[in-house]
Amino acid sequence: MTTPQFLSDLLTLLFDLAVPAAMCTMVLAALALRQEGGVNFQVGGSFPRWMLWSVIFLTLPQLLSWFAAQGIQMPAHGGSVASPWLAGLEGSFKSFVTVLVVGKLVPLLASFFVLKAALDGAQGDSPLGSIITAIFLLAISSTVQMMQSFNSGSQFATTDMLASLWNFVSGTILPEAAGLAVVGAVINYARHRPVMPLIFSALAFLSVSALWSLVQAMVR
Amino acid sequence: MFEHGLLNLTNWIANVILPTLAGLLAAGAIYRFSKSHPYSELAYAAFAALMCSGLLRALEAFAQQAGVSDPDRYWLSILALTNWVGNVMLPLYGTLQIVMAVVHFAGLLERMTIGEAWVRNMASAMMCFMLSGILRLAEAWIQNGTAGVR
Repeated sequence: MTTPQFLSDLLTLLFDLAVPAAMCTMVLAALALRQEGGVNFQVGGSFPRWMLWSVIFLTLPQLLSWFAAQGIQMPAHGGSVASPWLAGLEGSFKSFVTVLVVGKLVPLLASFFVLKAALDGAQGDSPLGSIITAIFLLAISSTVQMMQSFNSGSQFATTDMLASLWNFVSGTILPEAAGLAVVGAVINYARHRPVMPLIFSALAFLSVSALWSLVQAMVR
Repeated sequence: MFEHGLLNLTNWIANVILPTLAGLLAAGAIYRFSKSHPYSELAYAAFAALMCSGLLRALEAFAQQAGVSDPDRYWLSILALTNWVGNVMLPLYGTLQIVMAVVHFAGLLERMTIGEAWVRNMASAMMCFMLSGILRLAEAWIQNGTAGVR
């Protein structure tokens, strides 16, 4: 039995909207990041969940190819949407995400968090969480492009992308965060606050891969 | 781009804001010294604020004692930190303490702590007028320090 054209078009539409949906979930991840502190996140919180959804949306075809490899009959997808109405719907949603969400709303949210950083500082809290969230928001497009480059194209693209993200965070982001930890240690010393936790944290940020190897060695 | 933003933020705070704050911290240290209050934390913090990138380089050197995936890397970095504190910082601090012991025994700083306060006030006044010179001197020391121990 052949799949009706409308359902094929609907399937193609959903696959085509996966990347814009990933952009939207990245925006939600940024808001969740600030809600959970900005500098850190909660393990059971919304930030990891929205990041996971972003990865799933970006690897949707590959994830479904795993089901196909198990012998489950998957409908063929690809090409463009034949129905002009659905094609218009796709174009409208893509334009909404690209122009309104990423082009207008995200810079506005980032500027709001910069304002929030100033207010946090006035209240005596650290402004770093809001600043990092603002940087995350402004870098959403390039982050999604980077995540797409992590797509291995295999059946395990989802886990491969998550592993690549881990490598990126541990090898690029955390060493830069070590610099911020040193800055925090100097400021804490001037304010008569504990310094050594930040020093040890800076060393840990520079050694995350080694700590992972240590944990693996402990289990062996 | 997120990593560029984070790197630029770190560079801006460590190389622009903290050196500027070093002047404010040194001014605060001079003020507390004039009041005969503890001032050493502010003075050391002013020095450290000018050395942020150097401190990070030191921590990176400690962390690079072992390979990237070496399970002992964190322990070896803490060991390197401990060795550095014990073999570099403590001898410097001990030398400073010997100098302070000689100075205190000789009574040279007697006017700072007991009796009349005029020496402390005079020294504070001189440091207030010389603050920019003191900061330039500290920067020159740090700049010379980048060439290593000579």
